[in-house]
Amino acid sequence: MATDKIAVSGFRHVFQTEAGPVQATGTIDLTIQPGEFVTLVGPSGCGKTTLLKAIAGFIQPSEGTILCDGKPIKGPGRDRGVVFQELAILPWRTVRRNIGHGLEIAGASKAERDKTVARLIDLMSLTGFEDRYPHELSGGMKQRVAVARTWAADPEIILMDEPFAAVDAMTRLTLQEELARLCAATGKTVFFITHSVEEAIFLADRVLVMTRRPGTIKAELAVPRRNAGGRDWDSFTADPEMRDIAEKVMHLVHAERV
Amino acid sequence: MTVNRIVWRLLPAAPPAVLLLAWSIYWAIEQPPPSVMPSVVGVIATFGELALGDRLGADILASLGRLLGGAACGIVTGTIAGFVAGLHRPIAAFLTPLVVFFNAISGIVWLPLVIGWFGVGSALAIFLIWNSVFFIVFQNTVLGVQLVPEVLEYGVRTLGASRWESIRSVTLPGALPYILTGIRSGLGFGWRALIAAELVGATTGLGQLIFSGAEYHRADIIVAGCLIIGAIAMAMDRWLLLPIERRTVQRWGLIAPDRSR
Amino acid sequence: MRLLRELRILLPFIVLIALWWAIKVGAQVSDTMLVAPPAVWDAFVHLVTHGILAEYAASSLYLIGVAALISFGIGVPLGFAVGANRYAARALEPFLRFFQGISGIAWLPLAILWFGFTHTTTLVIVIYTLVVPIVFNTMVGVRAIPENYVLALQSLGAGRLRIVRDVYLPGALPSIVVGTRLGMGYGWRALIASEMLVRQGGLGDLIFGARTFNQIDRIMVGMIAIGCLYIVVDRLLVQPVESMTLARWGLLRQ
Repeated sequence: MATDKIAVSGFRHVFQTEAGPVQATGTIDLTIQPGEFVTLVGPSGCGKTTLLKAIAGFIQPSEGTILCDGKPIKGPGRDRGVVFQELAILPWRTVRRNIGHGLEIAGASKAERDKTVARLIDLMSLTGFEDRYPHELSGGMKQRVAVARTWAADPEIILMDEPFAAVDAMTRLTLQEELARLCAATGKTVFFITHSVEEAIFLADRVLVMTRRPGTIKAELAVPRRNAGGRDWDSFTADPEMRDIAEKVMHLVHAERV
Repeated sequence: MTVNRIVWRLLPAAPPAVLLLAWSIYWAIEQPPPSVMPSVVGVIATFGELALGDRLGADILASLGRLLGGAACGIVTGTIAGFVAGLHRPIAAFLTPLVVFFNAISGIVWLPLVIGWFGVGSALAIFLIWNSVFFIVFQNTVLGVQLVPEVLEYGVRTLGASRWESIRSVTLPGALPYILTGIRSGLGFGWRALIAAELVGATTGLGQLIFSGAEYHRADIIVAGCLIIGAIAMAMDRWLLLPIERRTVQRWGLIAPDRSR
Repeated sequence: MRLLRELRILLPFIVLIALWWAIKVGAQVSDTMLVAPPAVWDAFVHLVTHGILAEYAASSLYLIGVAALISFGIGVPLGFAVGANRYAARALEPFLRFFQGISGIAWLPLAILWFGFTHTTTLVIVIYTLVVPIVFNTMVGVRAIPENYVLALQSLGAGRLRIVRDVYLPGALPSIVVGTRLGMGYGWRALIASEMLVRQGGLGDLIFGARTFNQIDRIMVGMIAIGCLYIVVDRLLVQPVESMTLARWGLLRQ
């Protein structure tokens, strides 16, 4: 138990609205190991985001417990970084100042900040855009900044809520490859929500599939990795084993169509 | 949960309640002269007195009539002139400096000059309201007309629409959110100009009501008059302007350029 | 090129002055209604050389400046408090809307009863006029900030103060500027109107006093001065801040 990075047990959430209580999720149990990349696929409205928000500490679960390193989660903290679907980088900060924001908050020295920012700008192919404002960047670029900002703060766990959903299909492929490379290079624990089956399998060590609302976890598939260092779409699509897994997941997801 | 909802419902009543309470307590302790600081009860009594007399109704009608007349003139002339200028860039370029200048002195600034033209009365107030409304509506209409995407216009022109038809079916609805914003903020300035104009440049109207309150040292009439002025402004915004905006702007999924006032 | 541009701004005014002169002469308008442009020029020269215009204008500018500073000090923090807390917003929004409908000038008779014919009366009226739009727009600006900005910063470990500094303040700034511009529009007019009634100096006093003696030339000099000063304040102080923040952050017409 103590080795689980994240342990969700008996989690269930109910929203109080003007019209009365709405059950956001069914009962969910899951664990994530240190360094693992776990993706969660499920139909819209199944409660994926609610679960992620609870792990992030933005909401208190109605039932059940969520432990991080064996300790209950009390609220948001810098050990768990979040990348949102809608852009959450600040429009009034340049790329450089957005990426370095976490370190600035932590009180890091300017030299240290510059070093980390420079490394991430290089890793996320943002060179030349350091002093631009977000509105001067394309959607894909903005999302790179959001990812880089989260990595720069160096959290142990990274939570990503459909981060590439609003990006065009071509850019998306590049971003996914970049993310895979980044994860391989840094060994973070990642919990990633998506409704794209391919994306889920491409990135994950383990894929979780959710039922429709109120969502519970209906299946779990391990994705074997032959060469952890290099994941790219060419070798992924050429791999018959991956195609098998994709077919299985697709089947599970399609059964949940509303 | 239900308790929370009741609290939520009642929250808007809290600030007025606190204000009334503070006012009552202050009055009970300090006992200021009613001519300077009326009591809550005194103001309520004045409300009754005003409501029963025939002056209040006449004053409200006079003020609303002036507002209606002035605003209608301002909206009609402002929209038409704005359309003409918006569709013809040289005209807009020529008029812009004048509009910027006259907008800066619109409203009450004209009072000393035009009181000599129209004398004291409704014509003066109507002129000042027209003056307040026109420039804002004009500027917003020009902006709205110029910002309608050309693609939309090409769209109907390729369907065989004439220039007039494309103005009617594309430019007008496209510019409408801006025009409405202009009307809304124009009425804000117009209402203020009206009250100011009536303080010295009229013999009837709500501005005159509160001004006479000052002359007779009746603070209760001033406070009651101010509350009536606020209530009318709020009612106009809620029951006239907001529904128009909802019915047009929101239904088309457009967002008014500036919703804050 | 520059000269040509300036000429294009001046040309409409030249046409207007010509029109005004033609009406004055052509229709034989009496001097108690309208005076010819040269008379206004003479009055302008007189008022400037005797330091009268400067004195009255300085009084107006001083009052609007003081009022703007005080209103900012009250309005912005209050707007933040109301905007960041949804209960406070729910409670205060209708209240503020109501008071926005009662123009400052409507309180002038009461203010005169309380403070007499003094600068305090004018100051109170102008501050009231300015504060409401500033509070209101600050509140709107704070509430329009996407929740994700706050959440993202929380998960970067930011505390409350940090979030106010890095998210609420810059996020609400464009809206605060809009509120200030609107407030100045209302406030400048309230100032002129208040000066007309209080009669303790200021450009409102100048033009209203000139009315008493049918000095149309003075009235028109005063009006032009009022317009020019407002444009200078608006264009030189408020608009640069607005375009700097809005354009730089790409918030204008996204």
